[in-house]
Amino acid sequence: MTAGEKAGPVALSSPGPAAPPGRRARLALTFLRGSRRFTAPVAVVAVAVVLVLLLQGNSFASTLVLDMLVYAIAAMSLDLLGGYAGLISLGQAGFLGVGAYGVAIAEVHFFSPWAAVGIGLGATLALGLALGIVAVRVKGVSFVIITLAIGQILWGLAFQWVGLSEGDNGIPLSVLPSIGPIDLNDPLTLRMTVLVVFAVVAFLLVMLVHSPFGLSLRGVRSNETRLAALGYRTGLHRYLAWVISVFFAGVAGVLYIFVNQLISPDAMSFSADGLIVIMVVLGGLGSIWGPALGAVVIVLFQQELSTYLTRWQTVMGLTMIAVVLFSPGGLWGIVRAAGRRRDALIARLEARPARRDMP
Amino acid sequence: MQQFIAQTLNGLTLAGIIFLVSSGFTLVFGVMRVTNLSHGAVYLLGGYIGYSVITATHNFFYGLAAGALAMAAFGLLLERTLITWLGRSEMSELLATLGLIYVLDDVSLAIWGGSPLTINLPGVLGRSTTLPISGIVYPNSRIFILGVSIVIAAGLFYMLRRTRVGAIIRAGVDDREMVSALGINVRRVFALVFTLGAGLAGFAGVLGGTVLGVYTGGDSDILLFALAVVIIGGLGSFEGAIVGSLIIGLIEAYGTAYFQAVAYSILFIPVVIILLVKPQGLLGKVSR
Repeated sequence: MTAGEKAGPVALSSPGPAAPPGRRARLALTFLRGSRRFTAPVAVVAVAVVLVLLLQGNSFASTLVLDMLVYAIAAMSLDLLGGYAGLISLGQAGFLGVGAYGVAIAEVHFFSPWAAVGIGLGATLALGLALGIVAVRVKGVSFVIITLAIGQILWGLAFQWVGLSEGDNGIPLSVLPSIGPIDLNDPLTLRMTVLVVFAVVAFLLVMLVHSPFGLSLRGVRSNETRLAALGYRTGLHRYLAWVISVFFAGVAGVLYIFVNQLISPDAMSFSADGLIVIMVVLGGLGSIWGPALGAVVIVLFQQELSTYLTRWQTVMGLTMIAVVLFSPGGLWGIVRAAGRRRDALIARLEARPARRDMP
Repeated sequence: MQQFIAQTLNGLTLAGIIFLVSSGFTLVFGVMRVTNLSHGAVYLLGGYIGYSVITATHNFFYGLAAGALAMAAFGLLLERTLITWLGRSEMSELLATLGLIYVLDDVSLAIWGGSPLTINLPGVLGRSTTLPISGIVYPNSRIFILGVSIVIAAGLFYMLRRTRVGAIIRAGVDDREMVSALGINVRRVFALVFTLGAGLAGFAGVLGGTVLGVYTGGDSDILLFALAVVIIGGLGSFEGAIVGSLIIGLIEAYGTAYFQAVAYSILFIPVVIILLVKPQGLLGKVSR
């Protein structure tokens, strides 16, 4: 679902009735055309809101935004695997945990904070490379079950291997990395760093899904046999998508422990795995930005609205079911569909005066 | 040695409960290709309902029946509404039932609260027996559970192998289109299998509540056992569910006793080995 995919054909196929353009129609046309230019302003406003929330002193609001950004990274990276390669993983929170635990455990063993970051990311990457061999052997439902099993192995280690992971209590992180002027122990620097990392990951993922690699991933999802017949090494493509997705989950994990300064098995539980999948599906599979939006909505629900709405999980579950039933494209799909409808309407309104001028 | 025997018995008991849950899961998958992720939540809800009925009536067996029947009815409702609406899309069904987990868990939490509950068995079943030869004092409740699961397994085996309905279900696992082409009402078979699976899960919830307790999060624990079982035994294979349950139950029991730090994680070692060596599972027919 790339931008403007369906706009053209729809415009051509809607001639509209031959009524004279009334004042109302002209007004509507002006308004609709104006709304086309909204995309950029909306994005600017969103960025501005994020910046204001991060820059101002209220630590509650900024922590909320940071959590959203961290989970947005995890959800967007899962979208590469789920939305593009068609492999929905129920173990993403597990790898987020590996990144976070990697940092925490390395620091406990007296590694410098930067080395700890390297260890966290390295551990995630190594695990991703190794487990990918098992995981991408299967597709569809089996893949979901296997990644669920992998996620639970990781959770089990975090929960039961008390000697390494401190068990249920989790591991606190006291000192964050600092190099020269960039000192992550300073809240403002930390917030900006998370924002920058989010932007970089989002940029990389958007580039990736529009690259030939991203296109071949979609080919793997829709017709793997055909792609294989064309000479693509489809298994390798799936493996690479898996490794990239897992690695970015690890990046999210490193940021997670910076933001929360504590990692406990809760962050890797089955429920946490499911939440990331819900973020992706609710936001819109295969759109990168949709899952980021899904992360914003879910984190807002979980941390803010849960105060007012005790049964928020019921609402979330029912919403998930409704999305699967009625809007497989998720929230992003709804926005895109509305955009297409608007384009069609504009085309119809524009067609009216043109018709009158014609002989 | 005594500990080993006791752990073996614990493992077999657990295997019994896991079997009741995973056999329903695997039959539903085998016949309908529906991956019902909310199967664990159904188990838990069954346990809660059983608990409430037992508290009200002071009769364990009423609770057992209530848990099983309530969940069977819920299963039928689910099959007739959500599963039918989703219309045979494996991934949509999986994702929708994932959403359903959060709803069922939250509703359970709202009604029964967050503290763990335990279901007590009545009379002689609630006591312990000294086993012959080894001299181990072992709770009767576990022996009861083991016996009940064996009886149910035998009953299911008889139904699948010796009755007309069972033949239709087995045929459905092998070739759904052919069954429907032979003029059998597949929709009724689907409803039956789904109802049976949910009922078994509810039944297991009450039974399991006696030794494992009824607690928040118990649903994902049992779901993961069941998923491990069906990967090992083969998705859709009833006999595979028996073998897988024994493997998982025993590993869990020995692991808890001897390898505390990795007890939970080693459960999945056979899962990974099976996937590498025989991805369709030990007794699986369904290709993936």
